[in-house]
Amino acid sequence: MKPARKKTKVKDIDRTIYDFKDKVNPSFEVKEGLTPAIVEEISQKKGDPEWMRRFRLHSLEVYNKLPIPSWGPPLDGLNMDDIVTYIRPKAKMSAKWNDVPDDIKNTFERLGIPKAERESLAGVGAQYDSEVVYHNVREEVRRQGVVYTDMESALKSDKYGPLVKKYFMKVVPPQDHKFAALHGAVWSGGSFVYVPEGVKVEIPLQSYFRLNAPGAGQFEHTLIIVSEGADLHFIEGCSAPKYNVANLHAGCVELVVGKNAHLRYSTIENWSKNMFNLNTKRAVVDEGGTIEWVSGSFGSHVSYLYPMSILKGEHSRMEFTGITFAGKGQSLDTGAKVVHMAPNTYSNINTKSISKDGGYCAYRSSVKIMPDAYGCKSSVSCESLMLDDISGSDTVPVMDIQNDDVEVGHEAKIGRISDDAVFYLMSRGISEQDAKNMIVTGFAEPVAKELPVEYAVEMNNLIKLEMEGAIG
Amino acid sequence: MDLALKEINRLPVPTWNLLGINSADINGVPAVTAPYKGEYLSELPEGVSISDKTVYAPEIDTGMGADAQKFSENNKNCGATLRVKAGVKADKPVFLRYRIDGKNSSVVDVTCIVAEEGSEVTVVENYSSEGGAKGFHGGLTKIYAAKDAAVNLVQVQMLGDGCTHFDNVGGAAEENAVVNILQAQLGAGEAYAGCKVKLLGTGSRLNVDTIYFGDKKRKIDINYVAEHTGRKTRCDINVNGALMDESSKTFRGTINFLKGAKKAVGHESEYNLLFSRKVRSRTAPLILCSEEDVDGQHAAATGKIDPDRLFYLMSRGLSETDAKKLIIKAQFQPAVEKIPDPSIRDAVFDYVKERLDSVESIS
Repeated sequence: MKPARKKTKVKDIDRTIYDFKDKVNPSFEVKEGLTPAIVEEISQKKGDPEWMRRFRLHSLEVYNKLPIPSWGPPLDGLNMDDIVTYIRPKAKMSAKWNDVPDDIKNTFERLGIPKAERESLAGVGAQYDSEVVYHNVREEVRRQGVVYTDMESALKSDKYGPLVKKYFMKVVPPQDHKFAALHGAVWSGGSFVYVPEGVKVEIPLQSYFRLNAPGAGQFEHTLIIVSEGADLHFIEGCSAPKYNVANLHAGCVELVVGKNAHLRYSTIENWSKNMFNLNTKRAVVDEGGTIEWVSGSFGSHVSYLYPMSILKGEHSRMEFTGITFAGKGQSLDTGAKVVHMAPNTYSNINTKSISKDGGYCAYRSSVKIMPDAYGCKSSVSCESLMLDDISGSDTVPVMDIQNDDVEVGHEAKIGRISDDAVFYLMSRGISEQDAKNMIVTGFAEPVAKELPVEYAVEMNNLIKLEMEGAIG
Repeated sequence: MDLALKEINRLPVPTWNLLGINSADINGVPAVTAPYKGEYLSELPEGVSISDKTVYAPEIDTGMGADAQKFSENNKNCGATLRVKAGVKADKPVFLRYRIDGKNSSVVDVTCIVAEEGSEVTVVENYSSEGGAKGFHGGLTKIYAAKDAAVNLVQVQMLGDGCTHFDNVGGAAEENAVVNILQAQLGAGEAYAGCKVKLLGTGSRLNVDTIYFGDKKRKIDINYVAEHTGRKTRCDINVNGALMDESSKTFRGTINFLKGAKKAVGHESEYNLLFSRKVRSRTAPLILCSEEDVDGQHAAATGKIDPDRLFYLMSRGLSETDAKKLIIKAQFQPAVEKIPDPSIRDAVFDYVKERLDSVESIS
């Protein structure tokens, strides 16, 4: 008897290693909801300088004025009054792993953070809920003059305080959108990196964010300054266990890339599937500088994530490589933005997305070439793979070109695994199952190969696509 | 001239408001339209009947949206409903020629084309104006192609700079029906065009060929939507354009694969040549997909003329300007050749030539 035709099944990503929960045991927690009093309270507890206190209150005013976005996936289920903005775990920031409280230490041990540090990283920062609990930089990197510390220490330090004041939310102003304003009001934790002129950091720096408390928000602020001729690779990882209430992540990443400097910013985002990930990332690139984004989006219930590059100096460049994988109950709206402000700038965007099991992916981008930015080149390529007919995938790119001396190209493709390709591989003696497996792995490969080894391994674990062959 | 149509040509999935591409507004829409004076309809081919009643077809949406559609229906001053009998292949095209001049300052035409089973018809709508005349054109064309029918719609717009123009098209295609649309948006101070065709029946097809030409301060705003509902449906959208002087253009093209549109294919491309520092070109090519077994592709390229091509032509003795003119002409040629009437074809070439001749040098 002929077996019944079966649909190809792709197994969901195994999230169990991220789903362990610690008992919430905070030393300080503000009330749910957001009022000037709460913002004042956060500011006071954190011992902000006066300008920061005023900045927070100003951001709150902006937040109250701005509407929520009129586009993108629905934000139903996100009730700001239910989000606890600031939770400080019972731990002081530490540079020694052994000093980190046991439950928090266990969390990061299970996620493999200190191991990764020992093996291949120049420095690690770990943030648990709203506060950074661990920060360490290798001695040789420190000797080069590289500063890698948590935002609060930098803000309060005499040496770096003025730098923080100069750049803090200048790249992403609170007026940008509602969640940037929210971030400005309640930000907490995050990393500050300063690479001096001409210094090349050979091994990557890493920070890892973990949100443990239910119904909480994480609002870490990352500010990276790469001075003239310097070189840095920064890696960011995120995870959280799954609770039945909505969590919110509205972080902000500001990158300042100096003249002829090079910065690669890699992210593997694997928040749990109740997370609203409304993160803002932006880089300003000076003459001859390069920003490279590598971005993998796997987690979250709803994501709005579009790293933006402002090519301010002549001959600056940006490259964006991204992959988005949306499974059941996920709406991941991701992409990139670039503004060519200066002549002879170059951008290249390359994205892949996979939708399965009722998941929804959207690729959204904007390429803008300003009137005086002549001689610019931009190329965009996005590919979407649909693994079943209950999922969805949209492609929403926009190009805005304001002078004639440009070369702008765009291609997009959408479809499923090609029967011809499967047939070809099968004709070479490969089983249907393996053939489909190979095709999906090959689809994601251009992104995997951009990641450092240990992250590529994590990503491979994430895209462990177990294919069950279709018969008949 | 005191009305405005707000938020027409809406992008089916909105994006960042700051980009200003989600929709457009038309200002200077006349509040009152006088009856159209003069003949506009050519002799009808056999098997095509005419009435002046508008077909009520709620299932047809238009590319520019309900407000623009309502405006045309309420202010209609010309147009016709054409019905093609089942099995009839019309032996000649139906021409509708409208002119904005001293007698007519506004043209609001509503044209309905109903092609019954197995029939075929070509309808040509031509809009022109007397030199320097100020005026308004706001047209609505509804197309219904029954099983195995074929409808060819050719719209040629060569209005003067004093005119504001919109072309609003909506259509539906049943099993194996084919809708071919050719639009030449060559004139008017502001030109808006929208087109939405629903591919309902299995194997139905939509082909859109568009050329646009921007010079002086012309503003061109286009919104196309191909909606795939039926299985094995196919759409091909090809847009070619050139922008000069201080002209600007917004092109939105959406291929929407709805659930159930298995084996559907949608291809879309836009090629755009830029000839001046001050032009502005905005493009949003969307693919929306709720079905796995489809093939959707789009491509867009914007930029200057390929220097190798230019060099080749110049090495053959053409001046730089003449070489550029030739390249623009070549860009338009494939679409223009599909216009069934030689006199309109020539008029299009003359019109483009005249526009290009008035330009002394193309940067």
